[in-house]
Amino acid sequence: MGTEPGFFKRHHFLLRRLHSLSGIVPIGLFLVNHLLTNSTIAWGMINSRGAEGLPPSVIEQVGQSTAMRVGTFQHEVGFINNMPFLILIEIALWVSIAFHAILGVYYATSGSPNVKHYAYQDNWRYSLQRLTGYVAILYIFYHVATLRWGWTWLTPTDEPWTYERASSTLAMALRGQMTGLSAGGMAVSLFYFIGITACVYHFANGLWTAAISWGLTVSESAQKRWGYVCTGFGAALMLLAWASLIGFLTIDIDDARQVEMSKHATTAATDQNALVEHLAAAETE
Amino acid sequence: MATKAAPNRTVRFRIKRCDGPGKPSYWHEFDVVPEKNANVISCLKQIAEHPVTASGQKVSPPVWDSGCLEEVCGACTMVVNGKVRQTCTCLVDVYAPNNGDTITLEPMSKFPVVRDLWVDRQRLFHNLTRIKGWVPIDNTYALGPGPKESPEKQQVRYKLSECMSCGCCLEACPQFQLETNESKWDDAFIGANAISQVRYFNEHQTGKQLKSDRLDTMSEKGGISDCGNAQNCVKVCPKEIPLTESIGAVGRAVTIHSIASFFSRK
Repeated sequence: MGTEPGFFKRHHFLLRRLHSLSGIVPIGLFLVNHLLTNSTIAWGMINSRGAEGLPPSVIEQVGQSTAMRVGTFQHEVGFINNMPFLILIEIALWVSIAFHAILGVYYATSGSPNVKHYAYQDNWRYSLQRLTGYVAILYIFYHVATLRWGWTWLTPTDEPWTYERASSTLAMALRGQMTGLSAGGMAVSLFYFIGITACVYHFANGLWTAAISWGLTVSESAQKRWGYVCTGFGAALMLLAWASLIGFLTIDIDDARQVEMSKHATTAATDQNALVEHLAAAETE
Repeated sequence: MATKAAPNRTVRFRIKRCDGPGKPSYWHEFDVVPEKNANVISCLKQIAEHPVTASGQKVSPPVWDSGCLEEVCGACTMVVNGKVRQTCTCLVDVYAPNNGDTITLEPMSKFPVVRDLWVDRQRLFHNLTRIKGWVPIDNTYALGPGPKESPEKQQVRYKLSECMSCGCCLEACPQFQLETNESKWDDAFIGANAISQVRYFNEHQTGKQLKSDRLDTMSEKGGISDCGNAQNCVKVCPKEIPLTESIGAVGRAVTIHSIASFFSRK
């Protein structure tokens, strides 16, 4: 009766497409980057420069493999933490995730899954997409709150994660004790396994459906082909995700601390040397 | 289909009943000795002729809708054993080959029940008016021959034209919900059949005069962006219409249309 439709109704299509886009950029892009970084705790052992700058005595003590794994991960985490305007990048991500999550829940609750009667593979994926979305919200919130915002709520230890000792504090947050797993650590590790699996599935399947929604894949065979690409991509991400988790569950926390401490000592020394050289150069001028 | 159905067997029909719009549902069971090569409709006729339940209670004859009885009108669409399909082509020899087998019949759940197995599919036809599912021509004077249609597009359109608006794709769709309030129909998800009809009419040389209007409807609330890609529609379609390809094609058209209108809309 002549009333202007509300904001959400007027921009329904735009919001839907932004929801789709935000899942790919920035969230999906970040997920790929995040898994590549974290999985260095596993594949760092083949990174020949991983143990660079560590004193030979430390490498000998903790073993070449641990030194390279912890060294590589620490290097990557250090790189990210030294990025300019990191807090702005983080806020952009948090806002994107909140946007995607809130709209996602609203959209998901408007559907009524019916795999009971229509047990087709595509229909299962539809239902799983919504289920993994809910799991991802819980998981990401817990993950960011405990490891980034420093909440100690529902953590197995009171030791917060810190980027200066990235591997050892993360392993503690997952396992709850220095060796083996505490009961809380087991629960957290299991939740991480479910959480990262859900996130990877949600992203890979989302890429598949987004291609139909945006009209990239039209024919059934194109949808099938793109399905193979998304499956392969998803499987690769899943391997990275699981490798990260296995990496942090298997690392020796004491040895990791050794590597981190001597790494900082060397970095500090290098920084100090650079400062001395800089001052010396300034003096001669 | 070579089926070996037991002769003179008794088949139990579980029928979900409802005395009228808004009234509660209840179940009745009937035993039927099906005729040779019987379908569900012929069994329903037997039940209506002799409406006595398996427990011996005499009840009102069940009500259903049917028309052509050759799977081209869509009127007899029901939920058979939990899955939507036409009941005229639902052969009892296949669904209940043994003595004592049960067939469960329910009305479609996404449309309001008129009575028993009969639903009101008005919203489905209303949705075809939302997308202007027609070719606009002025009939008041001779227009001469229309534009040429390429055989390739004819092939595509022929398949899409087989849609009989039965409602199977909507019944199986997790995104399409029952909506009894008519004033909400224009905001509710339109469903696969109407999206496919957008493609059908937009591919037609004269029909595409309304292409822009149809794509506007597709980009509103309840349009194509509410599709969740569960793809049940294409699997339950009795005419095997490539509904998910239509969704991809209209998705592409709407993407281009919305970007173009962002830059050129006045």
